Amino acid sequence: MADVLSETVLPDDLKKFEKIYHEQLYKNDVTPKAQFEYAWCLVRSKYPADIQKGIILLEELYKTHEEGQRDYLYYLAIGSARLKEYSKAMNYVRSFLTIEPGNQQVLSLQQTIKKKMEKEGLVGMAMAGGVVLAVGAIVGVGMAIANKAK
Amino acid sequence: MSAGPYNYSYIFKYIIIGDMGVGKSCLLHQFTEKKFMADCPHTIGVEFGTRIIEVSGQKIKLQIWDTAGQERFRAVTRSYYRGAAGALMVYDITRRSTYNHLSSWLTDTRNLTNPSTVIFLIGNKCDLEGQRDVTYEEASKFAEENGLMFVEASAKTGDNVEEAFLETAKKIYQSIQDGRLDLNAAESGVQHKPSQPGGRPGTAAGGDQPGRDNCAC
Repeated sequence: MADVLSETVLPDDLKKFEKIYHEQLYKNDVTPKAQFEYAWCLVRSKYPADIQKGIILLEELYKTHEEGQRDYLYYLAIGSARLKEYSKAMNYVRSFLTIEPGNQQVLSLQQTIKKKMEKEGLVGMAMAGGVVLAVGAIVGVGMAIANKAK
Repeated sequence: MSAGPYNYSYIFKYIIIGDMGVGKSCLLHQFTEKKFMADCPHTIGVEFGTRIIEVSGQKIKLQIWDTAGQERFRAVTRSYYRGAAGALMVYDITRRSTYNHLSSWLTDTRNLTNPSTVIFLIGNKCDLEGQRDVTYEEASKFAEENGLMFVEASAKTGDNVEEAFLETAKKIYQSIQDGRLDLNAAESGVQHKPSQPGGRPGTAAGGDQPGRDNCAC
């Protein structure tokens, strides 16, 4: 399913914004824009290490650049949810909603996160069920062998 | 799988673009929720919406990426253009500047999508006739010159909103029927949901089909 939590950045795009950020970092003059664009790509990566890095960059922006705080909060929520850190993600969503209670985009993100949590809960149960079946099968085979040996 | 069978045969990817404050998110909301969102805050980055529609008896799922109009998001939102089958390009009929910027939006769209991408021009806020700043004739001429489909619509009253999204889908569907749109092209923006085995057309929106490897049976 495509949604804001599952779509991923194209490697070329990530590289492009990484390059701009690093060039500015080298000159010791990183603009909030370059840092945000790079972080926005990082939190959409399929690699958890990238997402983690994006979160660190966003946290830093959140503390230092007041103007873009709502953007940073939103992508902090997305990054955390993608790392399956759901309680953290929900906290970001809640702090956003205390400032803008009716924001449809954030309410819809909240729904998407909840759905993902529910889905993973079900998947977890299904896997547990599979294990029980597998163990049952092994025990069954073992008993059959034991019976044959008699 | 418990997720149930696909109840649609195609997925079309759309993008909505245009200056900030022209009503892109409101158009999306009106289309997906059939409600007008008053006091719509600025979109952050991109927003996503879906709806299943029917064209010629075929169920089609629209996956719509609604991009933020603010300049500071522009660099990254461009990456969402890739693989769009339809592009809704929106201006505000009461603000001439939003109309004047259309050629730059159009250039971006043409550069970043493929030749078969259907571009639909929407003049939003047509309920505000008294404040009109762009005539229907002028925009209509612009659309014709550039080979775009065009309507004036209102996200507030819902006028022509449904039409814009559906006409775009019809045009895309027609391209598939005529063979002008190659479903196997990586960036066609169309995904055929195969009920028959074997068919797995690639798309930029792909890579998210349920895999068989995690089947517990």
